[in-house]
Amino acid sequence: MEFNKIRELLDRYWDGASTLEEEEELRSFFSMEHPHLPADLKEAQALFGYFAAEADIPMPVFPEIETLIAPTPPPAGKTVLKTMVWHHWMKYAAILLMAVGIGYGARQFTSRHDGVLAERSIAADTYDDPKEAFAATQKALALLSRNLNKGTAQVQKLSYFNDATEKIRAN
Amino acid sequence: MKKRENGHGSSNGYLKLATRNLLFMSLAIFLSQVVPVRQKLYRFAYRLLENEEDAMDVTQDTLMKVWQQQERMSDLQNMEAWCMRIVRNLALDKLKARKCRRSEDLDTASELPAIHQENPHIVAEKQDVMKRVHGIIAGLPEKYRTIIQLRDIDGYSYQEIADILVIDLSEVKTNLHRARKAVREQLQKLQVYGV
Repeated sequence: MEFNKIRELLDRYWDGASTLEEEEELRSFFSMEHPHLPADLKEAQALFGYFAAEADIPMPVFPEIETLIAPTPPPAGKTVLKTMVWHHWMKYAAILLMAVGIGYGARQFTSRHDGVLAERSIAADTYDDPKEAFAATQKALALLSRNLNKGTAQVQKLSYFNDATEKIRAN
Repeated sequence: MKKRENGHGSSNGYLKLATRNLLFMSLAIFLSQVVPVRQKLYRFAYRLLENEEDAMDVTQDTLMKVWQQQERMSDLQNMEAWCMRIVRNLALDKLKARKCRRSEDLDTASELPAIHQENPHIVAEKQDVMKRVHGIIAGLPEKYRTIIQLRDIDGYSYQEIADILVIDLSEVKTNLHRARKAVREQLQKLQVYGV
């Protein structure tokens, strides 16, 4: 009986022990219509029907193989040179900008440095000998006090006038 | 001086000749072994990606990749398995990029080829069975699904499947057995409970 043979093949199939030829036999068996198929073979019929349908996927139109294997033509020498020059001017411009920036920064730094140095030189001590420094300070303070006294003498005169004005107002 | 120039020129000539020979050999292998399996590669990619455009892209990319590695062509023993392996890797990369697993949607199953039958009732019933079987196969882990497809749809031998998936022969057999067992259990449930 044919069904029994198919059952045997199916057993081997489910166990993963069937050969490609045996599986082909099963495929061709289930590709045909069997109106009185036993119930135990119906599960396999569905599966093999699915396999047959899946193997029948519609194929698209593949592009020409020449487009794949055609060697890409190397770009002409002149074009390469042009592109290189075109690409390189930006590099040069960037380098120039960087150089200008660094130069400007260095200049700013030196001028600021000079300023700081000048400030420091002002703040630095003018006398090495403390006695000399004391004498010079004394001299400067004496000058200051003399001038201040001159000023207070003038202000005293003003206060006399002020007192006189007050007395007159009082009378 | 002249002698040296001559020697240098002839070695250059040999080099050019050898390169040209290699190119012709690669082209011959490519045209005889790779181009004829384009449809198989497409089918494999299509089953993994379930999208015609993506499958076409992967097939073309595979052919490009194979052609770019011309120097390896003559060393390979199984060119078809190598191509299939590239298809699988590219398709899995694409799937990862899409972050989308093959769905068990009935909508995708409805795109299965129609079965030509006279009776519309039988046609509808068969389509329904197809959808369910598709769901069962699609629900398998990727390795099981690929092994079943390579063996039962494309008819590859165990050794060829092992070459494609870069696994041991014993692993192919074990996984195929497990995959078929899982499918059978699901089919039996389908028969008994009609789910």
